[in-house]
Amino acid sequence: MVYKPKEIPEDVNVTPIHPLVNFANLLGTVVVFSAMVYLGLGVVATQLVTRISPEMEMKIGKQLLSSVKTTSTESQSEKLQYLENLLTSLQAPDFNTAIPLTIHIQKSEIANAAIIPGGHILVTTALLEEAESENELAFVLAHELGHHVARDPLKGFGRSLVFLTVASALGMGTGNADIVTLTGSLTNLHYSRQQESAADVYALEAIVRLYGHGDSSLDFFERIKTKDKRSKLSSYFSTHPLTQERVIYLRQVATEKGWQMRGEVTDLPDRVFD
Amino acid sequence: MIEFIILLAVGYFVGSVLEKKHYKDIKKRERKTIHVPIISFGAKQAIPEANEAALFAGSVVVSADYFKMFASSLRNLVGGNVVVYESILDRGRREAILRMKEQAIAWGATQVVNVRLETASIGNQASGGKGLFAVEVIAYGTGIR
Repeated sequence: MVYKPKEIPEDVNVTPIHPLVNFANLLGTVVVFSAMVYLGLGVVATQLVTRISPEMEMKIGKQLLSSVKTTSTESQSEKLQYLENLLTSLQAPDFNTAIPLTIHIQKSEIANAAIIPGGHILVTTALLEEAESENELAFVLAHELGHHVARDPLKGFGRSLVFLTVASALGMGTGNADIVTLTGSLTNLHYSRQQESAADVYALEAIVRLYGHGDSSLDFFERIKTKDKRSKLSSYFSTHPLTQERVIYLRQVATEKGWQMRGEVTDLPDRVFD
Repeated sequence: MIEFIILLAVGYFVGSVLEKKHYKDIKKRERKTIHVPIISFGAKQAIPEANEAALFAGSVVVSADYFKMFASSLRNLVGGNVVVYESILDRGRREAILRMKEQAIAWGATQVVNVRLETASIGNQASGGKGLFAVEVIAYGTGIR
């Protein structure tokens, strides 16, 4: 038998498909499917959290809180007392007290406030420094209270759990969705726009109930527009975006409901804030 | 996220340029060495009459780029043909055979018989498949003259 060299056939073992087309197909499939799963599980999580008992929520909260650094020095006990009084006075008469609310002061250069499951409100030292009147501080507290009443922290928690699971399945996350990685993003839990604006409306309502008007309560928002972008305040709004829209919406709601937006502003007590 | 997109873009563009270059080289060398047949029999059959025989081995390690790794991790979720890795293995096999064949030709082989191919994955499977993904392909056969 004589060997006769033949033409070498090309690309027998490589599928003739452009890698980008293949990639787009894959990415599309995975994104669509994960979006469906994410939304689906988000709905399930939302349904589930409304069934979580207060005891269970407190347990979760306790666990989460242990990984958050809070300060409780002597100099802050007065501030805490003051904030807790303020918070109590903001609560509606029919407020459900199954979960006791606690305030924690977190030492941070970033002005921010957050609420985690179990009714733990975290307020940063920078936020307290930035506050210029009781009204605006009360708005921030009432906003977090609004999230608490709607059980948003648990809902957000459920969603971020789902998100982390999806991310780790894709190999993009940290790999293990344990409680520590979860709490790493605790203070910037993202709520949906509806959740945010519902909390805003709740806050403004509480403010009007307490002070009789909504004056000065939106000062945090107003000031951010005139302030330097790199100021401490701006970071609060990076996790609470769309400032302008929120102010406009709130003013609209106030007009509709006939809430006063002018009135006497309550100063912060000097003995607490020096 | 931006970092990730940059990695993906670098992986894709650099990876595909290198791959095209490699294929061009492979095809050129394949045509150059086509006159020497390579045959898979010889293990249980008698090998053709020859004066001398010697073992030749050619091995190559080819790595995936970031783009291929990410695409395959997506593929891993849904299953199916891992198209992006096909070209890596194809390049590996052809390069390994060429290296073996070129050595054999330099020695003066008229045929290479009993050719076998083996692969081994070189990578960090223990750490969850992250890090290096590379495949080693080794081709070996008996050159005769």
